[in-house]
Formats: sequence, C-alpha cells, structure tokens
Amino acid sequence: MKLKLLFILLITFSSQAIFAQEGIISGTVNDGEFNDVLPFANILIKGTTKGTTSDFDGKYVLDVEPGTYTVTFSYLGYETKEVAEVVVAPGAEQIIDITLNPLANALDEVVVTTTVSKNTEASVLNLQKNSVALLDGLSIQSIKKSGASDIASAIKSVPGVSVQGGKFVYVRGLGDRYTKSILNGVDVPGLDPDRNTLQLDIFPTNILDNIIVIKSATADQPADFTGGVVDIVTKDFPSRAEYSFSAGLGYNSSMHFKNNYLSYDGSPTDALGFDNGQRDLAIPQNIETPLPVVDGNRSAALTRLLEPNLKALEDQSGADFNIGFTAGNQYNLNEDGTKKIGYLASLTYKNSTEFYEDVVSGQVFRKEDQDKSVLELTDDRTQSGNTGVNNVLISGLAGISFKSLQSKYKLNVLHIQNGESGASYIRQDNFNVNSNTIFKDVLTYTQRSITNILLNGEHTNEDASWKISWKVSPTFSKIYDKDLRTTPFRFEPETGNFTISPSESGDPSRIWRDLEEYNVASKLDLTRKHQLFGRDAKLKFGGAYTIKERDFVVNQFSTPIQSQAGNFSLNFEGNADLILAPENIYNPETREGTYVRRDSNISDSFNSQITVGAGYVGDEFKLSDRFNAIVGVRFEKFDLRYSGENQDGEVFDNQSILDKADFFPSANFIYDLNEEANKKLRASFSSTTARPSFKEASNAQIFDPVSSTFFIGNIDIQPTYVNNYDIRFEAYGEGTNFFAVSGFAKTFDDPIELTFIREARGQFIPLNLGDAKVFGAELEYRRNMDFIPGWENFNFNANISVIESQQTYSEDEEAARIDNLRTGETLDEFRQLQGQSPFLLNVGFSYDNNDNGWQGGLVYNVQGKTLEIVGNGDIPDVYTLPFNNLKFNLSKEFGKDNSSKISLKFENILNDDIESVYQSFGAEDQVYSSRYPGQAISLGYSYQF
Amino acid sequence: MKKIIWSLATVTAIIAAASCEKETVVEIEKEVIVVDTVTTETEVETSITVSEDIVTDVTWTADKIVTLDGRVFVSEGATLTIEPGTIIKANAGSGVNASVLIVTRGSKIEAIGTATAPIIFTSAADNIEIGETAGTNLDQNDRGLWGGLIVLGNAPASFDGDAESAQIEGVPTDTDGDKGLYGGSDSADDSGILQYISIRHGGALIGEGNEINGLTLGAVGTGTTVDNIEVVGNVDDGVEFFGGSVNATNLFVWAQGDDGLDIDQAYSGTIDNAVVVQGGISDHALEIDGPEGSLQGGFTLTNATLIGLVDNVENGEIADYRSNAQGTSNNILVTNFTGVGTDLQLSDVELDNEGVAANYTAGSLVFTNWEIVLPTGVTASSEVFNDTTDSTTFEADAATFSSAVTEGTVGADTSAFSWTYANTKASLGF
Repeated sequence: MKLKLLFILLITFSSQAIFAQEGIISGTVNDGEFNDVLPFANILIKGTTKGTTSDFDGKYVLDVEPGTYTVTFSYLGYETKEVAEVVVAPGAEQIIDITLNPLANALDEVVVTTTVSKNTEASVLNLQKNSVALLDGLSIQSIKKSGASDIASAIKSVPGVSVQGGKFVYVRGLGDRYTKSILNGVDVPGLDPDRNTLQLDIFPTNILDNIIVIKSATADQPADFTGGVVDIVTKDFPSRAEYSFSAGLGYNSSMHFKNNYLSYDGSPTDALGFDNGQRDLAIPQNIETPLPVVDGNRSAALTRLLEPNLKALEDQSGADFNIGFTAGNQYNLNEDGTKKIGYLASLTYKNSTEFYEDVVSGQVFRKEDQDKSVLELTDDRTQSGNTGVNNVLISGLAGISFKSLQSKYKLNVLHIQNGESGASYIRQDNFNVNSNTIFKDVLTYTQRSITNILLNGEHTNEDASWKISWKVSPTFSKIYDKDLRTTPFRFEPETGNFTISPSESGDPSRIWRDLEEYNVASKLDLTRKHQLFGRDAKLKFGGAYTIKERDFVVNQFSTPIQSQAGNFSLNFEGNADLILAPENIYNPETREGTYVRRDSNISDSFNSQITVGAGYVGDEFKLSDRFNAIVGVRFEKFDLRYSGENQDGEVFDNQSILDKADFFPSANFIYDLNEEANKKLRASFSSTTARPSFKEASNAQIFDPVSSTFFIGNIDIQPTYVNNYDIRFEAYGEGTNFFAVSGFAKTFDDPIELTFIREARGQFIPLNLGDAKVFGAELEYRRNMDFIPGWENFNFNANISVIESQQTYSEDEEAARIDNLRTGETLDEFRQLQGQSPFLLNVGFSYDNNDNGWQGGLVYNVQGKTLEIVGNGDIPDVYTLPFNNLKFNLSKEFGKDNSSKISLKFENILNDDIESVYQSFGAEDQVYSSRYPGQAISLGYSYQF
Repeated sequence: MKKIIWSLATVTAIIAAASCEKETVVEIEKEVIVVDTVTTETEVETSITVSEDIVTDVTWTADKIVTLDGRVFVSEGATLTIEPGTIIKANAGSGVNASVLIVTRGSKIEAIGTATAPIIFTSAADNIEIGETAGTNLDQNDRGLWGGLIVLGNAPASFDGDAESAQIEGVPTDTDGDKGLYGGSDSADDSGILQYISIRHGGALIGEGNEINGLTLGAVGTGTTVDNIEVVGNVDDGVEFFGGSVNATNLFVWAQGDDGLDIDQAYSGTIDNAVVVQGGISDHALEIDGPEGSLQGGFTLTNATLIGLVDNVENGEIADYRSNAQGTSNNILVTNFTGVGTDLQLSDVELDNEGVAANYTAGSLVFTNWEIVLPTGVTASSEVFNDTTDSTTFEADAATFSSAVTEGTVGADTSAFSWTYANTKASLGF
C-alpha cells in the first residue's frame, strides 16, 4: 500500500513537470577582489540581446529557450568572462557561479573563456582562493558530488575536519570546546546540551546553500572559537519552481532484521519523534513520597503511578529509511523582475535503527597497587551486553524571502524533532571494590526539539558602497530525558538467584531530566567600500548581542524492595517486568513489596543565563596590488549568571559568576606570489577565547546513573584565552587542481578540561589546567587525473593534518601520575590535550561524468589515537583507537533532464570496529569500550522536478 | 518490517488512544494530591531540629529529641557532645537529602551513653519517645529510613593510586573545602568518644550504589574511643572500617542488608568482642579486604560470635576474605549458618582470590581458634572453609585451627550486649 501511494505521488509530480518548457540559467557572480558577491554585474547571452544583471546578492536568473549558448559576464573595471557550451534542456536549470577579478589597469580588456563543467568545480574553490581569512567552503554542488546525504558526511572532505559519531564536527582535531557551529551566521543551541557544537546530521543537504569552515578569526566572527567556525547557510529560494522528492533505505547486516534486537514498549507516537505523554513525570514535583512504614497505602498508590515495563524485550529490528520533500519557487512582483518573492520548504523524515551485540562499555582496569614492578593491568570491572537504539528525526524548514533591487528580507523557520529510544541488557562483573555479577535492564528515551526563527534583512545603496545586514534569531530548544529506567539484578552464580541488592548494585531507578533553553541572537553588520592607500578597501563594523538562558531540572526516583523475613526480590527471578507488577507493589498488610522513593537532588537542577554583547571594526585593504590584509578588533562583554543550590545548601540566586570584557585583535594577510594570483602566501594571527559551558560554570553536582559518576560544577572556573598563529602556502592549478601546505600554532592560557579528583573516584570537575600548546601542519592536494588520457573524469583528493599537543599537568594529576609510575617508567613533561587527535587523514578518489550522469567515490578517512579519558592514579589513560573508515558511493542520474538519481553507498568496507583502550607502560592494552558498527549498504532515490 | 512505515491514519488513531491514557494518569495524580492534604505532620514540642553544619561546640541533651534533617557536618575544630539517653531521630530522604551526621577530620564527637541510657540514632518514623529505649512500630526489617553516622579521621589508610586521603563514598567533592575527606598520617588521631550507642533503621542511599553503613569509621585513629555500639536493620554494612587504627570493643550488628563487620583499606586496629546476627537479606557476617595502595596494615579481630539464620535459602555467608586482606582472626564462634541440602548452599568462610590466598601462604593472614556449630549435612568444621583458588593449604589447615562444637567455648562475651535493643526485641538471651 505504501508503495502504491508513493507511485501515485511520483506520477502526479512527473505530470506537473511536463509543463515547464523554457530552461533557465542561474547562479551567483562573485567579486574576486573581496571575498564577496558582485552586485549589478551584467550577464548576457552572447549573440543575443537577452541579458540581466545580478542582484545585490550577486544572484541572477535568465529564462531561455532550450539550446546551447555562450554566456558573458562583465562588470566595469573587471575582467569579462565567457562561458561556452552552456547546454540548456527544456525545463532544466543550468547553474553557473562565476568569479570576476578586477583589472589592474581599467583600460585593459581581458576576456577569459571557459566551459561550464570546468567552471562549476572551480567556483567552489574561488571562495577559498579569494578569502583573506583562512577558510574552506563546501558548496552544495560539491556536497552532492560526494554522495553525502547530510552535512556531517560531506564536511569530512574539508582538510583538518573530523566528525565524531557521525554528528559532531571538530576542526584540526581539537575537542569540541574549540569548535563552534552556527546556523546562518548565528548561534543555535545544539541537541546535546553538554557540547558547544551543533549536531550536523540533522540538516538534509537539500536545504543548504553552502557550508563554510573558517579557521582563522576575523573581527566579524564570534570570539569564542579556536579550531574553527562551521557556518551552515540555508538557501534563500531557488531560481525557479523546484520540487524534489527523495527516499532512501539502509541495510546493515549486523544490525537490521535481527531477532534479538532489544527495545521496549514506548508510546505510540515514538515513530513521529515524540512521546505522547506516556513517559511524562509520573509523580509531580510537589508530591512527597512517604516511607511505606509511615503511610503504606499512599506509598503503594504512588508506586502504581510508575510505568511498570522495565525489561529490555527481544524483538525484530527494522532497517533504516528516510524520506524527504522540498518545494521552492520564486515569483516576480513587478515586470522588470527587480522585486521578487520566493519560498523554500523542506520536510525530512529519518528513521534509523542501531543494534550493537556484545558492546563493551565502561570497563575498569587498574595498575597493580602493591607491586609497581607488575606492568600488566588487572581487571576490576567488565561490562558488556546488547544495545538497541531507534532514532527518529524529523526536520522541517520553511523560508520566505523578499528581494528588491536594494533590499532583501528573509524569514526562516526551522523545526527539528528527534526521539531516541534505547534498550540494553548488560552484564557487569566486579572484582575489586565489590565482588559480584550484575545484570542490568536499561531503558532510555530522549526527546529533543529545536525551533529556530531567523529574521534577516540586507540593504544596500545605489552604488553598493554601503551594505547593512541585520539578523534577529530566537531559538527554543528542549531536551527531555523521559523516564530512564535502570534495573540492576545481582546474580549469585552459586545458587542461580537473582536479587535486588542495593548495597551491591543499587536499587532500580527512574530519572527524568528536563532541559529547556531559549536563545536570542541578534546581529548588525555594516560594510562600507572606501579608498585606502589609493586602493579599494572595505570597512566592516557592527555589533551583536546574544542572550541564552537554560533551565535544568532533574527528578529522580528509586523503587526499593521492602522485605520481611525472606528476601522479597527473589520473587522476581531476574525478570525486571515483575518489579512493578501489581502483586509485587508494597502491601501494607504484609509490609512487603516494591515502593517508590524520591531521590531528586536539588544540586542537579539549575538555571543559568549568558549574555554576550559584541562590537567590532575591521578593514580589508590592499597594501599593494598583491598584498591584501584584514585587520580588526572585536570587543566582547560576556556575563554568566547562575541560580542553583549545591548539596551543602549553598544557594546562588541569579548571581554573577563570570563577567568579562575583552578585546580580541586579529590580522590576516594574503600575498600573491605571482601575477596570475594562483600562488599565494597567507599569514594570520588572532586571539580568541573558549568559555565554560552552563554546566561547567555552575555549582551543580550532577549524578550520572549510566556511568555512576558525579559531575561537579566549578563556580570559580575562568574562560580560556587562546592565541592562534597560521601560515599557509597555496597553489591553484587549472580547474580544481590545488595544493596547499600550512602550519599553525596555538597557545592556550588556562585551558579548561574535565578532570578527575584524586581523592574522589568517579567524581569529575572542570578545571583550568596549566598552559597548553598545539602545533600542527596540514597538507592538501587535489588533482584532476587528466594527465592520464581517458581519466579526465577522475579526481584525486587528499589531505592530512599532523598535530602535536602539549598539556601541562594539574598538581593533583602530576602527583597521582608520579605515585603510580611503574618500575622503569618516567613521567613525560607534557601529555596530549584531551580529545586532540595527533593526526587526521582523508584520501578520496572520485569519478564524475556530467554527460552520462555517473558519479562515484571511494573515500578513506582515519584519525590518530586520541586521549579520551585522562587516567586517575592506578587507573590508566584511555585512548580512542583509529577507526579506519573506507566508504564507497556510486550514483547515476537518469531520466528526462537527469531529474532522477539513484545512489548506492557502502560504509565501513574495512569492517573495522570502534574501540577505546587503557594503555599503560609495558602493559597489554585493555578494552575500555568497543562496539562494532557493522557494514551498511544504503540505497537512495531522488527525483527533482 | 512491521515497524517501518506509519500511515497517517494509524498515527491519528494512536494520538487519540494515547490521550485517553493520559487522562487516567491525571486522575490518579489528583487522587494522590487529595491524600497529600490529609497527612500533615504535627510538631513535637520537646524537640530541636538540626539541619545546619555544626561549627562551634554544641551539646545535645536527653530532654529533647534531636531531629536530624539532611546532611550535617561537624566542622573542623568543633565538638559535638551528646548526653546519655539522647534520642536522635533522622528525617527520611536519600542522596543529598539523606540525613547523615558526619564528624569531619579535626572535629570531635563526645557521645557517651550508658547501658541504661544509651544514645539512640533512629528514624523520624520511629515512635520512640523521650525516656524510652525502644519504639513499637518498627522492626529489624525496616531499613534505609535515614542515613547513618560517619566519623572521619586523620589516621593512615591505604588507597587505590596511593593518595593520602580520599573522599568518603557518596559525598560529592566540595570545591570550597575538604569536608568529605578522610585519611592522613596521624595514627593516634582523636575523633572523640562513642560509647553505648544504638543505630537503627538507617542506610539510605547517599550516592549510587553507596548506601551508608550504620557506623562508618574512615581513618579513625587510636586516640578515639569506640565501644558498646549496636547497629540494627541497616541497608548496607553494620560497622565498616576504612583504614585507620582505632580499637573497638563490644560491637553488635543485627539484620544488616549487606555485611556485618566490614574492613577495608588496611585498617590496623583491634576489634574485640563482637557479635553479628544475620537477618533474612544479610550477605556476609564478615567482609574483609586489605590495603588498596602500597601502604600495608593488618587488622586483629578477636572474640567474635557470628550467628546465621538456620538454613536460609538466600545464602547468607559467614565470612569473605578478599583482595589483599591481611590480619588475624582469632577466637571466632560460628553458629546457625546454612548447611547442605535441597535448595541450600553451604555458608562458608572464603578466600576469595589469588591476592588473599598469597597472603595466607605468606602468613600475613592468620586464622586461630575457630569453633563451628556444624550446619545441616556438614560433618567436619573444615568443610566450611573454602579457598576458591585452591592454591593454599587453607582448607587442610582448617582441620587444625577450627573445631566442631555444639556449644561454643570461644567467641564473644555476650553479656556485654544485654543492654541492646536487639537483645530485648529478638529475645537473644544475652
């Protein structure tokens, strides 16, 4: 039935498409002098009178009869470019983005001739080439080419970028504290409250205009990034009526259609990314839970309010699938087309299922305490089991834009809805602190939603010498952990008995965590073209104000078992679903059974507010024909206020925790080494900051039942200040051929790291550690294979980053390390920065044939061994081992105007697993965690009309 | 494949169905809220409530019931004096809300009760009144109704990773100070006096998997006096020694949820005259670990009587010597434990791993004068001794250091416990 519906939809859409007869040529004209668009440039179909001018966004659209054309782009004082062999099919769109370079001598007439296919890829590089700041752009064309269906997989081709867990982007291997992701130039809270970066797999590629990764700061960028800013820019509207439909299926042989997949009965609306209320807080916050000896009836009544299903049930797993629609169009509001209104809407649904068998997590191995000559590690806790996770993601975007000759207004509404339901059955064996065997059923559900509204206006004057841009963007985000259920049974191998044994393994527990954050970002940017040293220059200045507020509330309950003469929990026989079965709930007559107890910690909950006010000024100017510079300074006033209470009853009521006012200077230089401007040398300096998160700069003492650890907030924490130095040589060859080598250094004052407390195992606190340094080198190489005859459609692409990081130890850490050195081991002066990869490597081969519609790619990426957890005393450091990821994708466009596309992807061809290990001097590595992602095949279909 | 695609029609139907369920829950919530207004607590006039840290010298007197509300620290430099006969009732709660009295390093507790007027720590739910020694509404199976009593000192303890001090389990680190720390270098450290104290119905969870012991002694030094202590119906252990060197006499534990007496982190004092009476869910009567770090130290346990529940199917054990245990267990009487038979698993005295087995062989773990009242189906005293590693002569030696008896000649002098609540409640005849 589903297929039938789909078929009908297809037919309907296809028949609509037949009506479009004229084709169009559209694109963006860029200014080669500044890294900006070129408004009011002339676009002409050669040999005709048909033409248009680019709007103030540099965008243009030309309606033409089907045929083959040469298109001329020109602007006063700039070179003229002719693009030949522009084939326009009926109803089709031919995109030509072009960059015009200024002429040194205005009297010269230079005509550069190129072809469409050569121009397309080259325009991707243009942005990068012309930018004075160090940046990498990823246009929508190149994303599509990489076969990626979301940004996270596309962005890996940018040098120095790595993606963790398919979601989080890191630049230059620096931890996520030092990478910032923004949406349309403004801050948006992420789905993961404890990270600074936005989760990227939530954005379908079809709503994107481009992604820009900025690695060196300029004054107009926020000061709180170090590794890089990833700016995700969504489309305004398409240049013509455009509708698309896509569907995909993914199959992973180790995860899908497995009969032992684990899940639990959730709410019927789980498949829509939200819980219908079934998992809502069972016992309202104002209700006390009495001891059963005090009020047995009430205790039992409250206990009955809890959902009784606690067991991870075996069930068959489904496969991954996704479906998406986009629609967009633009309409002329007046005859000459200078006033336009357009819209873009997209809706995506993704349902993915993961199943990990024998996943190992949180194992504990120790160094021998008694005899330091023993090098091998001993096991203290082993833990493994099966975990099933179903993830539903729905994202909807609707945008409406109005453009006139000198103004543009854009209103965008984005909503992302995500529900993640998990079930695990885990065996834990303890050997040291406790000595026991525990079986745990763990059921989780996390519901996330983000609603972001962007209102944006851009204005220019008649000669485009002034440009004003403003943005107001409120975001509401909600993350609810709803009714996390953990049921630990202690198992006695000798008797085969299962008992609830609170002092060995804890009581069964239920947790609700509500995080609500609202965020309003606003920005005003002004650009003024002027003359400096007799040359064109661009002055940029403006301000920004962001306010963020977060509420975090935890409700936590246990369900202990009251026994009389015997152990009542023996009745459950290890079946978690019996714990809250009606017959086992506390009975005031027998004074036995399960009852509910509130365990909430006031110290878990808090409310925080951050405000950042910023002002900047910067000038982009030329010192000579070949020497460009951007020099600027940014001022930021950062305030963090906190309300909360710690376990000692110390109360903070909207108290100022951080109040910083800083100047952040930056300077970027670019020097053309030759006349053709295809060999460049860049250098930059900037000072930036890394600020503690809400949770870190708090008084909160948050217990994590999953890892059994405490997070202790640090109310005295200070921001980190970073100095960044970059130098880079670039050589641009023909087409997309490109070579670059760069070096960078960063010095960190008071870097923040989540660190252990020596005296308190299992408690972690963010601290300002001793100073750190990071040095690195990057190499990037892109080459078309046309030097081999017949290989013109093949491209080779490689980039590698090598990074050395040096972190000095905290006092506690150094003492603990010295006390636990093995015989013959010495302590290094520094260690790696936590989360910093020592190297990153991406290598890819791609095939792209515009004529027959075939595209393909083989991509390999790997990241060096990374310090994941800093060891504590006799517990050694944990390192994430390299995951060798080899992927292959193949796609074919076909049908009328190549409007259909089928793509096929294979992931993890090398069949690697994801593993972290304990490493200690002279000892064999021991597993901390390991899971096998399986090998996935996915098939996608998309249709554009 | 069944869960792959949802049609819009089913989704609508589901939302409708789900909203019905929601209403039911709301109704129950309302019902509960109504009940809420009925149970209002009445103030007892003759009581004081203590919820703040004790920062100056304070005396609690027997004419007022002391309500302990939440986590209360006796801060460094302060002395808490408790008069004989004082009843301390602690409010319910767990985690941070658990009512716990913590005597920190550098502070003192002077809690000197008498056999006729012991100092009683119990739950706020206990109906015991001023002048009484027992209430009537609770018994030994009412556990976890409040936290416990924790004394922290400056004596040496042996920690993992060789830190000098450690944070007591379940108390989060305080960034402003070190209130939860124990351990140091002064083995003669004086934390005060604990005499004739009865601790009942405690053991609330204070952090995950960290229920509070009845009496926790963390690195308490020899300058401290600990004698005549009773712990009844605690979720976790009765009395636990984390390192330290304090000597303790006349300890009594009944119906604990975990272990009776627990020794860790190179406790190096002497425990003389102790009784453990197991309850239905009790684990080991004795659980003994050794040093965790390189600091070594051995305990002395002498004159102890361990009383099991005859043929308890839930398998309470006699004693577990684990990890790196070292010390001497002397004059121990074992009676009423589980024997061999259908559904029965023999309660044993166990050397748990290779570390402790090696200590036994090296002579740093010593057993002398054990008497066993033989359980069902057991014919020789040595049968209850079990080396799980089978690497020592422990089981064979047991024939020499232990003997089967019908009436003990060693063990505790139980007359010392005639004052206890348990003696009356369980008619132990001490």
